[in-house]
Amino acid sequence: MRVNYLTDGPISKKLISGLIEKMGEKTDSGGHMVFFGQVRADEIDGKKVKAIEYSAYEELVRVEGEKIKKTIFSEFPDVKSVDIIHSTGIVKAGEISLLVFVSAGHRHQAMQACSKTVELIKENLPVWKKEIFDDDSHLWK
Amino acid sequence: MEVKVLFFGVLAEVSGTSFKHYNNVKSIGDLKLRIQDEFPEIVHYNFRISLNSELTDNDLMLKSGDEVALMPPFAGG
Repeated sequence: MRVNYLTDGPISKKLISGLIEKMGEKTDSGGHMVFFGQVRADEIDGKKVKAIEYSAYEELVRVEGEKIKKTIFSEFPDVKSVDIIHSTGIVKAGEISLLVFVSAGHRHQAMQACSKTVELIKENLPVWKKEIFDDDSHLWK
Repeated sequence: MEVKVLFFGVLAEVSGTSFKHYNNVKSIGDLKLRIQDEFPEIVHYNFRISLNSELTDNDLMLKSGDEVALMPPFAGG
């Protein structure tokens, strides 16, 4: 299953379970590391974040996503696969907006590569977020 | 000649649109001035530029059909 890189709305349990079901096919892997980014109900000036609206530059997401994977595969040669899925549109507090799934031969590189992938996403993926508060006002981050 | 300009994140809100076409712009620098004239508030925001899905910091020449994106700092995750 290759679902990179964007999905409309929150990352569904179905999508997550689909990736987990396919895990067993990767018999060259001894470790899988998954990161879930979740929308947090931050409180700012007495207002609570009820959702985040994400937007992305789709073509550039693909270009930068491929670069991230290339970096990971060259820095962590034990890594067998990297999946990156980011939400666009509205994701409510408590829902998942980012999924990184890294499989490697052994645990150390799986863990390190997953962490590095998340950092590279934060730095390089052209995605923007607008926090929407419970009074429907918003704040660009 | 015509180029397409994409506005992302807060810049889409500032300009009131997600994209716009501009005629007769020679370079990225030229285009930036045109956009600043039209949306003066944009100077208060930091943004990066991409030309045809490639990030650039240079004042490149533009040709018809080019796609330029104005992108505030990324905020994924």
